[in-house]
Amino acid sequence: MVTKEAEELTQICETLSNPYLEDWKKEGGKIVGYACTYVPEEIIHAAGMLPYRIRGTGCVGTSLADTWLTRIANCSFARSILELALTGEYDFLDGVVFNNGCDHTRRGFENWKAQQNTPSFMYMLPVPHVITDDGLQWYREEVNSFKDAMEQSFGIEIKDEKLKEAVKVYNETRSLLKQLYELRTQKNPPISGAETLKILLASVSMPREKFNQLLRELLIEIRSREGISDYRARLMLVGSINDDPELIELIEDIGGLVVTDSLCFGARFFWDLDEETGDPMDSITARYYYHIPCPRMYGALPQRLDFLMSAVKEAAVDGVILQSIKFCDLHGVENVLEQKALEKAGIPTLKIEREYGPLADTGRFRTRVQAFLEQIGK
Amino acid sequence: MVIAGCDVGSLSAEAVIMKDGSIVASEIIRVRPRPEQSASDVMDAALSKAGMTYKDIEGCFSTGYGREKIPFASGNISEISCHGKGAQWLIPSVRTVIDVGGQDCKVIKVDENGKLVNFVMNDKCAAGTGRFLEFMAKVLGIGIEDLGPQGLSSEQPVSITSFCSVYAETEVLHSIYEGKAVADIAAGINHAMSERVKALVKRVGVEEDICITGGVAKNTGVVKNLEAALQVSAQKLTVDPQLIGALGAALFAREALANQNR
Repeated sequence: MVTKEAEELTQICETLSNPYLEDWKKEGGKIVGYACTYVPEEIIHAAGMLPYRIRGTGCVGTSLADTWLTRIANCSFARSILELALTGEYDFLDGVVFNNGCDHTRRGFENWKAQQNTPSFMYMLPVPHVITDDGLQWYREEVNSFKDAMEQSFGIEIKDEKLKEAVKVYNETRSLLKQLYELRTQKNPPISGAETLKILLASVSMPREKFNQLLRELLIEIRSREGISDYRARLMLVGSINDDPELIELIEDIGGLVVTDSLCFGARFFWDLDEETGDPMDSITARYYYHIPCPRMYGALPQRLDFLMSAVKEAAVDGVILQSIKFCDLHGVENVLEQKALEKAGIPTLKIEREYGPLADTGRFRTRVQAFLEQIGK
Repeated sequence: MVIAGCDVGSLSAEAVIMKDGSIVASEIIRVRPRPEQSASDVMDAALSKAGMTYKDIEGCFSTGYGREKIPFASGNISEISCHGKGAQWLIPSVRTVIDVGGQDCKVIKVDENGKLVNFVMNDKCAAGTGRFLEFMAKVLGIGIEDLGPQGLSSEQPVSITSFCSVYAETEVLHSIYEGKAVADIAAGINHAMSERVKALVKRVGVEEDICITGGVAKNTGVVKNLEAALQVSAQKLTVDPQLIGALGAALFAREALANQNR
């Protein structure tokens, strides 16, 4: 029997805050927000704080954010998170760490930082754009500076033993999520793509130890399920950031079961593990620097294609949906390159440009996904 | 065997009724506020032309933007598959279908059986759609059906460079204030339209034969410009190009019936 708590894990993502966060705050705990897979969560965790991944959940319009970022040139995800910050939805954060992941979110955070009422700790963590040995050294120094800044700003010390503990906790999450992804590769996957995303979103929105415990429980229940067999096609979803389970539900409602992905609220976020031996700062830095690269990383297309192709094979996908949010230059261009590689390998593709979240026009998205399913003959 | 197809789009709704493999009646109407209403109005009219009632229809598929809301349809298929199917059934040599509708523009590739092979559709933008022509005709103060013939008589088409429909409208207004002839502006609009469609076609490439469907195929100016831009000659359809979606839906209904009876 699965506990009620574990059963409700998939509801955590429906709102920005949740009962676990509220309890954490009540007990005097601090929460530090971050918005990219290149910010090492282990350091925030080792500082005794709760790392929270910033998302656009619940944003229904961007009238305030549009003063700072423009509708005609900026990504609607970046505008949505800025809007939530400007309307006070992120007031529960004690700190925000951002980086130069993409220019839209970076400039969004800079505009956030320029406001009167921000969390006291607003930190920029630069990440190199190339993957080289020198780059690793640079990134290592930046991560060190970030750790120093955390210590100074909050008047704490981040001890090695705490970092080692964090490494274990975060590695456990990654291993559990990987098990979940392995289950999705089955012929009759016991879990949908939308539900998987909901679990992933919970992992970055609550105390991690508690999440691990609940996911362990939930995995037992998921394994006992009969499995989904009434789908028309197995699909992989790639491209721009997506923290909206409804986007996947839209695809799955018409029979396209999403069985894998290479998204940053997806495989790219948890796939690689920290080394558990040696200096924890070294192992954390190396893990984040070398993880499945985001298209922001120059010269790393071969690694991304390798991951894409192996995921296509592992999950036996019938087709790949390459989506990008309007003005997302990184994924917009990446999708063209990936589409060419997939077509060469004989994998059907559908490339779609969309708006983020509630701003989306679902009718046109639906039509194309339906036609895609008809095209691949399912 | 009597089958039907119903296409409820963003601007117009169409119905096609087929009996024993040929079209016996069809109808096109301007859409009503609700897709269910558009569907029943257009089907009622087509049925009355054919002298039939709903009971005579053995199978009906719906397509178009409102495809999921059609009460009398037994199934629905995306308009992308339907346009490919319908056009290839009419002209068996067709492999590329360019469908320019009210709010969408699609380039559809099909095989020798009319099955969808690949497609692209315009992203969230009115450029290269019927809506663009509608805006422009309105600014020009002429009917949308006059844009084609008017443009053909022009010798000095004006140039419209903005991709965005809103800015293109400003350009058209500017030409009007400058006193340019309506024919020249209409020709410029048709040319601009074909350029936008061409940009989309190039994403999947042209495989001949091609044909152009959807309401915009009725604009002879756009068709002529597009043929020149793509260096191809489009196959002429023997039925109204606006009916192809509904025709394709009817053909899918026929396939579904055949599979059922097998």
